[in-house]
Amino acid sequence: MKLINYINIRFMLLLLVIFTLAGIGMYIKLGFDVDENIDEILTARMDKIIDNLARHPQTSFVGFSADQSIQISEVKPCESSRIFSDTVVLNLHDKRYDQCRKITALKPLNGHFYKIQITYSRFETEDMVEILFTFMIGLFVMIVALLYYLNYRLSKSVWQPFFKTINTLRSFKIGQREKVVLNNGNIQEFNQLNSVLTEMMDKIQSDFNNLKEFTENAAHEIQTPLAIIKSKLETILQEENISPDVQQQVQIAYKTVARLSKLNEGLLLLSKIENRQFVEQTDVDLCQLIRTRLEFIEDLFSLKSINLKVQLAEPVIFNMNPVLADVLISNLLNNALKHNLQNGTLSIVSSHGELIFSNSGLPLTVEPEKLFQRFSKNSASNESTGLGLAIVSEICHLYAISLQYFYADGQHSIKLGF
Amino acid sequence: MKILIVEDEKNLRETITDFLKLEGYLCEFAETVADGSEKLALYDYDCMLVDIGLPDGTGFELIRELKKLHPETGIIIISARNSLDDKIEGLDLGADDYLAKPFHLTELNSRIKSVLRRVKFSGKKEIVIGKLCIQPDARQAFGAGQPIVLTKKEFDLLLFFVSNPQRVLTKEAIAEHLWGDFADSADSFDFVYSQLKNLRKKLLEKTGTDYFKNVYGSGYTFVANEP
Repeated sequence: MKLINYINIRFMLLLLVIFTLAGIGMYIKLGFDVDENIDEILTARMDKIIDNLARHPQTSFVGFSADQSIQISEVKPCESSRIFSDTVVLNLHDKRYDQCRKITALKPLNGHFYKIQITYSRFETEDMVEILFTFMIGLFVMIVALLYYLNYRLSKSVWQPFFKTINTLRSFKIGQREKVVLNNGNIQEFNQLNSVLTEMMDKIQSDFNNLKEFTENAAHEIQTPLAIIKSKLETILQEENISPDVQQQVQIAYKTVARLSKLNEGLLLLSKIENRQFVEQTDVDLCQLIRTRLEFIEDLFSLKSINLKVQLAEPVIFNMNPVLADVLISNLLNNALKHNLQNGTLSIVSSHGELIFSNSGLPLTVEPEKLFQRFSKNSASNESTGLGLAIVSEICHLYAISLQYFYADGQHSIKLGF
Repeated sequence: MKILIVEDEKNLRETITDFLKLEGYLCEFAETVADGSEKLALYDYDCMLVDIGLPDGTGFELIRELKKLHPETGIIIISARNSLDDKIEGLDLGADDYLAKPFHLTELNSRIKSVLRRVKFSGKKEIVIGKLCIQPDARQAFGAGQPIVLTKKEFDLLLFFVSNPQRVLTKEAIAEHLWGDFADSADSFDFVYSQLKNLRKKLLEKTGTDYFKNVYGSGYTFVANEP
């Protein structure tokens, strides 16, 4: 619901209550005034009739007034009194009941006792209600129409800067180089909003940059010592006259450093993905990517005599970061190669926005649920860092790609749904 | 050949210098951007190895400067910040190659040679070792004048060895050179062995020479001079 409509509906509901209350109040007050007025008329008439009756005594009162509005009768002796009351009189002409005001007087006059009743139609009051009702409705409709007109004008002009801000914000992306500029107008509240938003975006950008810098610096700080160790060990290995024993020791250290550096790279990659530092996105043809990567390492498969079945006729194109796409595919292929058997199989099939990697391999020694967790690995392959599938899972999570693992007939399958 | 090494880490710089000196290169070094830019202004180099993260700035500044002064000099970035942005920016500025730390010294050597071949000889240089002749640009090898049919990987392997004669090439370095990120596969050493076996056989057939020497446990050496 638009804010302006939200406000208007409440405003109109309030107006409705006020109008109703005002109408009722006015009705009561006016009715009271009219009654007073009628009572005055009735009193005056009564005085005139009594005066007449005192001067010209009468005994028969039949047909005293044509419309039966005055009725006089003789009654038993009683006290003199005057009472006003409301009554209903059948109108013979219209065949309906009229609301009437009535004065009843008991009066001793020249030794006779008279009861005099005068009725007076209150049709003015009924008319008044009608007039009031129409007036109130008319006013209400006019106000509603006016509000809608104002609404239209307001959302066209006053809300313009607000919608402009929203549109600009929509194009905001974390990690982009260009600063987002929000143009100020002449409405203070919107300018306030803009300045708070600008401040917030600057803070987000600077936090993001700090984090990015930190991860990159951390990489630097760790990789550089590793580079030194690695190069020193390599230099030792170049020596011709070292004993085989020493050489073996150095060889192990050298291998371990290489693994440590891979591990560091993997963890950094994971944190970069988690921090959403891979901003750029394009449409990536994943099937094409698989073909390219396979071409690069087909010798690795043939050296292990792995039977490759590739069915990538149906293209899978997905909008994602090209580097991450490459990491995703490489890790899946690497996984399928690493945990495969000699003379094993690998099939890669694409269909309806799905990619299925199935490879032969020994049954898992870890629970399938833990397969995509960090450092969960089959004890059989000590060489692996245990991060490959965690990275795959993190990338899938980032792009909401569904990731499923199942094992059947000696085949490990990983299914990606785009 | 003169090489400038811009690297603030003393130990790494010294190891690289020592390694490259054995190759017969003349090495000079700089620790900072200011130091490096002074050296670039005073002397001519054939190749510059430059780190991106330096104490007083980034290696990009030096790349820009060098491209202005001597656009023909080869540039290799050696960076610990294995980030794509840096790589793209560096290559855009005109660097010839990008090597992420930690790297194998033999890999660095091979890249330097490749860059020097490109910038100094426009890739036309032939490498002749006894009966073996290699044309890196045409990606062809000849044994006693006869073409040797090699697969892409076998040729890469041969070139890697030829760039590092008399050096021990570790299996790790070879695997990484051939397969990049896929090198950490548990069986990659068997693969290295298989590839090398094929290459060895093909070379032996055409040249009658066995150029490779096993170094127990660690790797292989390319012996340029016949024993």
